Amino acid sequence: MNKSTLQRQRFLGPNSDDILGRSRIGVVGLGGGGSHIAQQLGHVGIGHFVLYDSQSLDETNLNRVVGGTEKDVSHAIAKVSIARRVINSINPHAEITEVQGLWQTQPEPLRDCDVIFGCVDTYQGREQLERFARRCLIPYIDIGMDVHAIDGGFSISGQIALSLPSRPCLWCMGVLYEALLAEEASQYGAGGGRAQVVWSNGILASTAVGLFIQLVAPWHTQQVLPILLEYDGNTHAVNSSRKERILRRMKCTHYTADLGDPFFTLTSQGDLNGDQNYVYDKSA
Amino acid sequence: MNIHFKMSQLLRQEVLTRLFLPHSFAHERVGFLSCRVAATVNGMLVLAGDFHPVRDTDYLEDHSVGAMMGPAAIRKALQLAYNNACSMFHVHCHEHKGRPGFSGTDFRETAQFVPDFFNVQPALPHGALILSTDSAVGLCWTGQTNLPLPLAKISFVGEVLKLI
Repeated sequence: MNKSTLQRQRFLGPNSDDILGRSRIGVVGLGGGGSHIAQQLGHVGIGHFVLYDSQSLDETNLNRVVGGTEKDVSHAIAKVSIARRVINSINPHAEITEVQGLWQTQPEPLRDCDVIFGCVDTYQGREQLERFARRCLIPYIDIGMDVHAIDGGFSISGQIALSLPSRPCLWCMGVLYEALLAEEASQYGAGGGRAQVVWSNGILASTAVGLFIQLVAPWHTQQVLPILLEYDGNTHAVNSSRKERILRRMKCTHYTADLGDPFFTLTSQGDLNGDQNYVYDKSA
Repeated sequence: MNIHFKMSQLLRQEVLTRLFLPHSFAHERVGFLSCRVAATVNGMLVLAGDFHPVRDTDYLEDHSVGAMMGPAAIRKALQLAYNNACSMFHVHCHEHKGRPGFSGTDFRETAQFVPDFFNVQPALPHGALILSTDSAVGLCWTGQTNLPLPLAKISFVGEVLKLI
């Protein structure tokens, strides 16, 4: 990115352009939430993207997918391609790995990410993504929104959860629980999607991007990184969860310290000699 | 091949705290990180899991270097790699800020013992890491007779995500 493009965000630190430019960010799910996140990450100067979504744009997505057009619907353009177009229109130099498919079928590009944003529709999807992120020591930022019928109308709510290795996970936070997964499994294949709206998606996505920036380029020495933020779409407020204090004292017992791929062997890695011979530092 | 080395900020803090403890005659302390590995698109991810400091009694008194490990230290590290089927990275610290570097002695010494880990775990990479108070540098061997490769990226993961 051009040096002057990011001058208004220099308060993030003298090396922030470089840090953001070297960051490799995974976005899984490029619908209402993920498309906002991809766009904002393009604006802040992220240099490397890994994008996953198996779907193409349809007309029910036009109410919220950033960058999506009627023409994309008529040509059945993949959501990952729309996200790529949006990012490249902001930063043509961004390196983008685009996978139109499930991340589970091609996990290698995701392993090398510095942070993963999970913008998936299902609780099972969240559970699998968080488990993967923990194995690879990758911070995982999850967003989700829901609309419930209540007396006299509807309630819009959502959450932004930051899952870091050795800190509370989505299970600790109560974002995931067995009954929820069981209920979802029992409705597998049922038609109809969850209600989604662009303004709520935008708030959740913006807050998630803010959390990410706080993680890599903190702008205050006394920062307290939230664990779980809750969104009330009826009062338009994002607040720390009431569980936050309890979560801060909690030690996660849901994930073991298992890391990496237990089946990894060097013999499957091709040319191992490389061409980057090390020269030791004569001044050290 | 790109090798990305990662460790949690909690583990990094533990390593630094224990490496800074004084020793009765050694000028610095050293240890090993047991690691797990996963393939990436054009290389691999090395994930540090646990720190194993060299015991006080396993240093040799040699004032020509900061710390000299005795044969028992190496043998215990080899045993650990064998028993746990893990990758091993030697670790020590240069007490300054900014990017550290391998001195001639660091390079010569690590090049002598790191390839021995391939005798017990030939299918995993092994290496050496030098920490400073806020940065790091490392080398990774991908075979007993291969030249070491520099770690292309090092990340410390925690409430601050440090990318080196």
